[in-house]
Amino acid sequence: MTDVPIQMRQDTTQDTTNERFRGGSPLVDLLSRGGLAIAILAVLVYGSLTSPFFFTTGNFVNVLTSMAIVGIVVVGMTFVLVVGGLADLSVPATIACGAILSLALQPVIGPVPAFAAAIALAGLCGLISGLLIGYVGINPIIATLGVGTIVLGIVQAAVGGVIVYGTNPDTAALVKSRLFGIPVIVLIFLAVAIIGHFVLSRSYWGRWTVATGGNCSAAEASAVPVRAVKAGAFVITAICSGLSGALLGLTLQSARPLVGTGYEFSAITAVVVGGISIMGGFGSVPRAIAGLVFVQLLTNVMVLQGVRTPVQGFVLGLLIAGAVALDVALRKRGGGA
Amino acid sequence: MSAAATALRMRGISKTFPGVKALSSVNLTVEFGRVHAIVGENGAGKSTLMKVLSGTYLPTTGTTEIAGVEVRMRKPADAQRLGIRMVHQELNLVPDLSVAENVYLGRMPRRWGLADKAAMLRETAVILDELGATIDPKARLGDLSISQQQLVEIAKAYAAAPRIIVLDEPTSSLSEHETAALFRILRKMKQQGIAIIYISHRVKEVLEIADDVTILRDGSMIDTRPADGITVAEMIRLMVGREVTNVFPKTPSEIGAPVLKVVALGDSYNFRNVNFEVRKGEILGLTGLVGAGRTELAKAVFGLARATEGRIEVDGKPVVIGSPAAAVRAGIAYVPEDRKDEGIVPSLSVRENISLPVLRKLSRFGRVSMTADRRLADKYTKEFSIMPPDPERRIGLLSGGNQQKAVLSKWLSADPSVLLLDEPTRGVDVGAKAEIHRIIGELVAGGMAVVMISSELPEVLGVCDRVIVMRDGHASAPVDRAALSEEKIMALATGEEAA
Repeated sequence: MTDVPIQMRQDTTQDTTNERFRGGSPLVDLLSRGGLAIAILAVLVYGSLTSPFFFTTGNFVNVLTSMAIVGIVVVGMTFVLVVGGLADLSVPATIACGAILSLALQPVIGPVPAFAAAIALAGLCGLISGLLIGYVGINPIIATLGVGTIVLGIVQAAVGGVIVYGTNPDTAALVKSRLFGIPVIVLIFLAVAIIGHFVLSRSYWGRWTVATGGNCSAAEASAVPVRAVKAGAFVITAICSGLSGALLGLTLQSARPLVGTGYEFSAITAVVVGGISIMGGFGSVPRAIAGLVFVQLLTNVMVLQGVRTPVQGFVLGLLIAGAVALDVALRKRGGGA
Repeated sequence: MSAAATALRMRGISKTFPGVKALSSVNLTVEFGRVHAIVGENGAGKSTLMKVLSGTYLPTTGTTEIAGVEVRMRKPADAQRLGIRMVHQELNLVPDLSVAENVYLGRMPRRWGLADKAAMLRETAVILDELGATIDPKARLGDLSISQQQLVEIAKAYAAAPRIIVLDEPTSSLSEHETAALFRILRKMKQQGIAIIYISHRVKEVLEIADDVTILRDGSMIDTRPADGITVAEMIRLMVGREVTNVFPKTPSEIGAPVLKVVALGDSYNFRNVNFEVRKGEILGLTGLVGAGRTELAKAVFGLARATEGRIEVDGKPVVIGSPAAAVRAGIAYVPEDRKDEGIVPSLSVRENISLPVLRKLSRFGRVSMTADRRLADKYTKEFSIMPPDPERRIGLLSGGNQQKAVLSKWLSADPSVLLLDEPTRGVDVGAKAEIHRIIGELVAGGMAVVMISSELPEVLGVCDRVIVMRDGHASAPVDRAALSEEKIMALATGEEAA
């Protein structure tokens, strides 16, 4: 039922608060638009002032390489958050799936088919989560946690709970090689990011994703296949983390079932710090990656400064809380974005 | 309390937000024992004024007197202490509590430090009885109909023994029948000397219940007059600042072959055995009380809800509609009743909203053509004069009427042959309403078949060619407009024979 007064009130307050938001405080405006760029710049300046190693090619290649693996997951996770799917907690399982299968299947079917099969199977896990979330209507947290736990269990049982080692050193060399001085793994990450950005911002599927996250019932009433769109976000994330896991496995030439632990939180942190709303309906891949860059640089600076691990965790935790609080505040001021 | 004492006197009230003057120097005087209506279009300042009165906003300038004493209200609790109670349209009730618990929410009668449930039930029964409502105080609130919940909200305000009650659009979810019941309650409260402030869009209703009328326009007070000496046309003119000659202009159109045919459709719960057909160039009205199954029927035809029996034919061919996408393919479009929840994606721009149902058609290899997308949005923004004329603006920032025009555009972009409109003019102001009617008129003139659900009888009678009245899930046979009157429709809707 459309409530007339709600409508009216929203009309007046939205406009006025928006005026206040835009016209009244250029500082808030600047922070909401360019806050992350400023923060990244600040970390860069601080890092180069305090550590002689920070501003070296070697350090940046390190940062980029460690960013690439989680970055691929971030691209997928962006879709999950934008579609209003909260988070995908099955990432550790799908990464393990990718890492273990890409190594374990090598002797059986060869490196390239193993790589492809690993990603496909991870995608299948995502499809199961997606179907449960989109079509059955199970809460995404519960569904992905459940599917993730089961998949991890199966993977562990399949390899007998031991570490799987690579048998084809050429694949490791390929992943670790460089093109124009840039590690191949970083180039793969950039390619995934560009494709992800294109899909989210330029394709009809991306527009559907944003619309579903913004107002699921309105999207449904606009003939958007919302169930498929929701499910799709989880398939995309699973394929991304499968790829990420496979690359991780090839890089390390060994994979344990718990190889992906923690990646889900790193990815969610990056996306949220990038200013993508946990409520869905808003966000882009470049923003998420900016969040990732900031978090990675900050971590790097903290490591170079010798900040202890618990303190690092504390800082990252504060960062997430701050980003979410800012999202809520901006939503209120912007009139329910 | 003497009947003529002044309950409320607001003088020179202004409220400025940075960049916007929401109220400029408004004066309002409300007497005890009278119903004082405040009317105005969307954005006229009614809500801001009431927020000042309820203590939500502190006015920039101006003074407020309650019963002759100057007061300064900084928060809603101050206003409540002074005996001012608001009945909001969005009900502030807890669905999982009982009626009595809701009525006494936050101020339960206590005995030895514990809630005195017996006293609460007793008092609630007395209050509901006084208001002439037959609601069980022990019933779970969520089990009541919206109109009953609204009565509970009024009972809640009434139980606090207020001096001033403010009702914000109290009838927008009520049928005419229920509105009459509400008016009986208001008259009773009036006799007890309570000052009643009645905010509404519905001009006719206002004239029926109000003793005094204050008209606001663009944040300024236009006039306060006794309701006796004012006509509907005059009031509308004062509200919009111009003469609206015909509130419901009917564009003549040529009626052709049947487009949509619904045969024995039912969902075995909300509606049963519904039969009708809509012809090219025709507007078929679908009316009835809230809860009669109209919206559920429309949703089933559009594939948003499932029908369990019967069939749907488009252009003489049976179609299976399992999803909105299938409905769109069959040429059916649906403009939902609940614009905020189902009509718009507020965070997207007007352009992105308009092209949503046809995105795939605008895409090549999955990529949306921005040129086609922009062209579509520009076309409708111009054609329907959507204000502001900027397709890149976030749709959530537009007024209700302009949002509705954008929602209409969205569906026209899909080029449907049948358009289902669910309360298309609810919550839009008088000017936008006339414009929406004009657009609908042009659409049928162009050969579209329209099914329009509306609770507003003058609208139904003014716009539709034929009308179906629904009652408890059953639909009447279509009746020609010429053979209809408001009384006839009400008789069909309530099942009571017209006297």
